Amino acid sequence: MHNGGVPTTLSATEVMEPDLDEQVAEDHPWVVIVWNDPINLMSYVTYVLQKLFGYSLEKATELMLDVHEKGRAVVANGSREQAEMHVFRLHEHGLWATMQHDE
Amino acid sequence: MVNPFRAPIKRTRHGFVVRLGDAETGLVLRMLGELRELLTSDEPSAIELTKRLFPVAVPDDEEMEAEYQRLMRDELVQSQVASITAVEELLATGDTTVDEAGLTAFMRSINAVRLVLGTMLDVSDDPDTDEVRVTLRDSPEHHLYAYLSWLLEHTVQALTGR
Repeated sequence: MHNGGVPTTLSATEVMEPDLDEQVAEDHPWVVIVWNDPINLMSYVTYVLQKLFGYSLEKATELMLDVHEKGRAVVANGSREQAEMHVFRLHEHGLWATMQHDE
Repeated sequence: MVNPFRAPIKRTRHGFVVRLGDAETGLVLRMLGELRELLTSDEPSAIELTKRLFPVAVPDDEEMEAEYQRLMRDELVQSQVASITAVEELLATGDTTVDEAGLTAFMRSINAVRLVLGTMLDVSDDPDTDEVRVTLRDSPEHHLYAYLSWLLEHTVQALTGR
């Protein structure tokens, strides 16, 4: 019978422990940042954040104002794949978005 | 001629109506055609004008950035071109009733043209400089930019029900 890939005959000493640094790097979340730019309208940025991330008008407005006044705002986080998808969708809408490891 | 006191986008019970005059429709179609040409060109001048549509994604990691651009740039082009085609089909039919997805395509395409015009005009929000250089303020590009900003604002208002 298929056991779902779980090894049942290995002794404890044979189990490979994951490298801690590697595991931390793997689990370490990525953040998606939207940067201020002089062309995108404030109302447009607010709407895009609502549409793509499901934020309320209040939350999206707060993030948009952070972008406008502080130059940037973290708008999402997640795995590398999730961050790449968020960045792609923001780029589709013409926003200046980047991703980086959460610090 | 479009009535400046009439909203160009109207929300209805069945979706939205895009209400542009013939001249405005022709203008938007021409700009979208030019945007498609720029997006699908590999001329250095076209790449420079469309740079805001293809921002750096992973500035801290050269390898990941190269991979992102390799995988996603064509996807972004295809996505923009698909939006342009949807808007062209909408405006060409004369029946300008559109659903939310159609109006979103319209919004994205209008904004993409604004990003190109803004790049041409070197638009800035630096408080120490003018938004647009004095010498460019009466240029056709600046008037188009202002018109599309107005149109985009109304589009967002219609989509958000404001």
